[in-house]
Amino acid sequence: MNGDHEMSGDASQAAQRQVRVQLTSKQEDVALPENTGPILVPTGLRRYALSTLVNNLLGSEKPIPFEFLVNGAFLRTSIDEYLTANGISAETTLEIEYVRALIPPLHIASFEHDDWVSSVDVLSATSPAASKASATVSPGQERILSGSYDGLLRVWNMSSQVVATSPAPADGGHTASIKAAKFISPNAIASTGLDRTVRVWKYAEHADGFSGTITPQLELYGHKSAVNSLAVHAPSNRMLTGSADHSVGFWSTKKGDAPAAPENLLPSVASRSAKRRKVGSSVSAPQRGPLSLMSAHTAPVSAAIFDATDATVGYSTSWDHSLRTWDLVTGSLVDTRSTAHALLSLEHLPEHHLLAAGTSARHITLIDPRASATTIAAMTLRGHTNAVVSLARDPQSAYGLISGSHDGTCRIWDIRATKTDKDGVVGESVYSIGRKSQEEAGRGEAKRVGGEGVKVFGVCWDAAVGIVSAGEDKRIQINRGEGVLSSV
Amino acid sequence: MNPSKVSKKRKAVTRDVEEDAGVFSGEELTAEGLDLSDNANDLSSDEDSDSEVELVDEFSDEEEDDEEELDSDEIPSDGEDLKKAPELDMPTMDKEETSDEEEELNYRIEKDANGNDRFIYDEINPDDNSDLSDVDEEANTIGNIPLSFYDQYPHIGYDINGKKIMRPAKGEALDSLLDSIEVPKGWTGLTDPDTGKPLELSQDELELLRRVQMNEITADGYDQYEPLLEWFTNKKEVMPLSAAPEPKRRFVPSKHEAKRVMKIAKAIKQGRILPYKPPAEREEVDENVMSYDIWADEAERPDHIMNVPAPKLPPPGYEESYHPPPEYLPDNKERKAWEEADPEDREQEYLPQDFGSLRKVPGFENFVKEKFERCLDLYLAPRVRRSKLNIDPESLLPKLPSPEELKPFPTACATLFRGHKGRVRSLAVDPSGVWLATGGDDGTARVWELLTGRQLWSVKLSEDEAVNVVRWRPTKDAVVLAIATGDDVYLAVPPIVDPEVEKASLELLDAGWGFAATRPAPNAAEANKKNNPPTWIRPSPALADAGVCAVIPLRYMVKSISWHRRGDYFVTVCPGSSTPASVAIAIHTLSKHLTQYPFRRRLKGGGPPQTAHFHPSKPILFVANQRTIRAYDLSRQLLVKIIQPGARWISSFDIHPTSSTAAGGDNLIVGSYDRRLLWHDLELSQRPYKTLRYHRKAIRSVRFHPGGRYPLFADASDDGSLQIFHGSVTGDMLSNASIVPLKVLKGHKVTGELGVLDLDWHPKEPWCVSAGADGTCRLWM
Repeated sequence: MNGDHEMSGDASQAAQRQVRVQLTSKQEDVALPENTGPILVPTGLRRYALSTLVNNLLGSEKPIPFEFLVNGAFLRTSIDEYLTANGISAETTLEIEYVRALIPPLHIASFEHDDWVSSVDVLSATSPAASKASATVSPGQERILSGSYDGLLRVWNMSSQVVATSPAPADGGHTASIKAAKFISPNAIASTGLDRTVRVWKYAEHADGFSGTITPQLELYGHKSAVNSLAVHAPSNRMLTGSADHSVGFWSTKKGDAPAAPENLLPSVASRSAKRRKVGSSVSAPQRGPLSLMSAHTAPVSAAIFDATDATVGYSTSWDHSLRTWDLVTGSLVDTRSTAHALLSLEHLPEHHLLAAGTSARHITLIDPRASATTIAAMTLRGHTNAVVSLARDPQSAYGLISGSHDGTCRIWDIRATKTDKDGVVGESVYSIGRKSQEEAGRGEAKRVGGEGVKVFGVCWDAAVGIVSAGEDKRIQINRGEGVLSSV
Repeated sequence: MNPSKVSKKRKAVTRDVEEDAGVFSGEELTAEGLDLSDNANDLSSDEDSDSEVELVDEFSDEEEDDEEELDSDEIPSDGEDLKKAPELDMPTMDKEETSDEEEELNYRIEKDANGNDRFIYDEINPDDNSDLSDVDEEANTIGNIPLSFYDQYPHIGYDINGKKIMRPAKGEALDSLLDSIEVPKGWTGLTDPDTGKPLELSQDELELLRRVQMNEITADGYDQYEPLLEWFTNKKEVMPLSAAPEPKRRFVPSKHEAKRVMKIAKAIKQGRILPYKPPAEREEVDENVMSYDIWADEAERPDHIMNVPAPKLPPPGYEESYHPPPEYLPDNKERKAWEEADPEDREQEYLPQDFGSLRKVPGFENFVKEKFERCLDLYLAPRVRRSKLNIDPESLLPKLPSPEELKPFPTACATLFRGHKGRVRSLAVDPSGVWLATGGDDGTARVWELLTGRQLWSVKLSEDEAVNVVRWRPTKDAVVLAIATGDDVYLAVPPIVDPEVEKASLELLDAGWGFAATRPAPNAAEANKKNNPPTWIRPSPALADAGVCAVIPLRYMVKSISWHRRGDYFVTVCPGSSTPASVAIAIHTLSKHLTQYPFRRRLKGGGPPQTAHFHPSKPILFVANQRTIRAYDLSRQLLVKIIQPGARWISSFDIHPTSSTAAGGDNLIVGSYDRRLLWHDLELSQRPYKTLRYHRKAIRSVRFHPGGRYPLFADASDDGSLQIFHGSVTGDMLSNASIVPLKVLKGHKVTGELGVLDLDWHPKEPWCVSAGADGTCRLWM
């Protein structure tokens, strides 16, 4: 009885216990008016109550949802539980940083294709392709590029109209499915696919903005098997490809820089091809070869990217479980990091010196490629139920990441939202974006075995357009949330 | 007896102390008659009485008979009076007292001053029973004589030790006067004769005296004049409770009672009622009453007020001794009385017996012998600790590692390959691990992108026949797919590869045309023979356009294709029962477009051949028929081994890819239609090392993970599930393979009693593909 009394006393004490918090924000527009001193708040508060508190302090008319960071990790429990879990005394002043919370991205539009869409890219004022270009992309004039399994590139405007389509195989187009396509600049496109070629296209738009042309400019031969990924570095006119022939290709987008194409790989050589495929295309683009083919992988290369800050460094992942760092100047292998699973996608997080790699084992591994790193996997992001085949950075946050998976979802991750368990640091996704096509089919919640029909093959996150994902449902899906982005 | 004793003492005194004779003589008179009787008693019973004492007795009897009787009951108070007493007591003692005790005199005789004998007695040591112990040491012992006798002496008597009690000093006359003036309470004016001090009465004694004087009851606290408690009132109530007059029945004897009494009296007369029936003796214990023995399991407990310890048994007494003191021994009378008494009435259950020493106790006769035998038993007893087997059933189970530790292995469906109409009969992952080839009931062979499930190539080979087997050529220099449809085997180069490899593949397939052309054409006689090896033919233009390069018409349904590891040979099996035994198994040489039938005769026992595989590293061909697997050395043309898995109908088998090089012995897994998966260690036995029976329906296909990178194997069953096992073979010949079931992969729907028809592993990854009767293929990873 006495114990009960004490317990209830404790509970009431805990509910009324207060902690001194210092609220800060690095976002100027939502920063507290003056340097507000520490505030005493009850420790029972959770994120929502803290968010209300900050909104009150700001006096904002429309409440802005906030997320709260304590020591670099999101507050997911009450303050009291956080203090207890981390052994922090309630006497100390808690430094809490708040950022705008991610708002669930809403479905904006879906662009329907004739066939599976393997790859997607965005041309907007903030996209990397437009950064160098002299002609900036005005708002509302964003373009979306999609590469499809039917071998065609399509350029879409934001009103779901096809502005331009690449030529058919007979006219110099891809002879097989396109697996990757990227804008090099507002008027140049690179694409690659199962036909083992990398093609550079000239994209020209008519003045009205509702029609345009894609004309082949360059055909690059060198890979002996399907090319799975393509990365473009526009300022230096370089491209990186990863191919199923175990090699990483390093290419130039300029005709003048590229060496001659290897003869044996040209389609006319194959005896059968002459019969079967009509090569006599009216438009004959110059054929060139790779600057270098770097082969150290022992299995198909799934992704190859440039270092986000240094274009002379490339990274590649492969089914052989390894992540390799390449010196692109000399074409030499710098470093190899081996993991336990086949790696299927790759993205660079330059601010944290981390590489995010999607695996066949349904998770994302964050790998520190630096030689000084002691552990290979710095963090594991779990949540997907199938292979993770596409990754993209958050354009406005250094911590954000989006992944596209064969399970038919795109997941948004924040590498601050982590917890530590027996497998090390494990993160959970902030939001999961399903396929609109699945919802329209009336099976929104039902999980599809093997992601059948809804696999996501490509994802792109642009500040202006939003999250663009392409998949097996023959659609490009655009999702955006008002103020989705927490730009810290 | 007592008065006589006293009288004798008195006589002795008279004689010893002559000067006091006159004083004490009077007592003798009253004791006279008693004395005589005593004497008579003495004479009759005690022959050993002292003659001297007798004389003294007579002497005293005669001499002093006129003495006063006042002191006859007096206990002698003088020490000298006691001197004779023990001697005189002797004759009055019990008859049991033996004579030897008489000789022990507790006095000695000395001469006194007059030359007379003087008896000096030992100091009497009063034991605890003596009532003298609490005698006041200071009390006067002179007895009931006037204190005036001592008036002329300075003392007033003697204490118990014979010391003189001195007269207390008397006060001066003035003090006496003063005392008489101020009389203290309780003053009597008397002198206490015992102490010689003035006798004063206590308050209680005064109160007692007062009550006596007042005729009151002297008991303390009794109140004579208690107020009356009226238990029964004598007051009459004004209004009685009932005004009714007393009923008549109060005054008239009851007829009913009279009737009852008469009835009872009659019954007593007739003897039907026994008025004083003796109560039945209730000897038996009432069953319902529980009696508890609270000390049944008495254990030592700390001393506590709540613990009532069991009462201690009295220690054995003298009578239980083997050599009790003589007074405990029964005499003849007692013995007789004990023997005659009923055993229930006996006071003791035994008679005390006297054995002079322990060795005379009857039981002692065998004591030494028994003791010796006991020691001998102990000495000869076998000192073996018999430990009972306490085995935990859990510990008997083999220690299997947990599946968590054996990761990676396929756990979930990653990709569905949907496109075939009807069952998918066979599938294979190409050596590079990028493509998947399938063949099904719709007569098509298809090639898919493994990871995405995108169909890349499809060829329709037959309208009505199913594609039974698809198998990739195992090397990477060329891409060739062998497809068995109906009676034909097609060799195709799917147009999915780069021009270089495609060219190499085509060249590889085309090279054989020349060989075939240069081979001498079979003559007509041979051509008509049934088992003539077929010649390879070119496909139709439509098929050639699709990628098919060569067709082998085998004339019988082909159900199994297996490539040699170098990719130049492959073996086909036509298991149909109508197939002649000599053409059931064919080995095809790719580079020469040559087909050979290595077996001329039917395999003995076990029915038609089912499937055949080349050994992964040795030139050995394994051929399975329904019940046995035979291993043939191809270079020596010999039957090497016969394996009998004990299955009724073998469906498929696979050879461990590395065990023959690593461990020296081959390991085989065999799947059978009777639901069993059997692991064979060929070095161990012809019989299976382990039988796994986990499926509910027939096992269609079993497959080791190729390359030996992951120690995994899997089986596919008609119940729609695949089972993944861990099966590691160590290089140590002594240790057996460890087999751990890992995962059941479910997903395929059972269609027409068929579930999963074929499975294959990715060459490098722990991924697994399965072909289902539901028209789908699945990638598991």
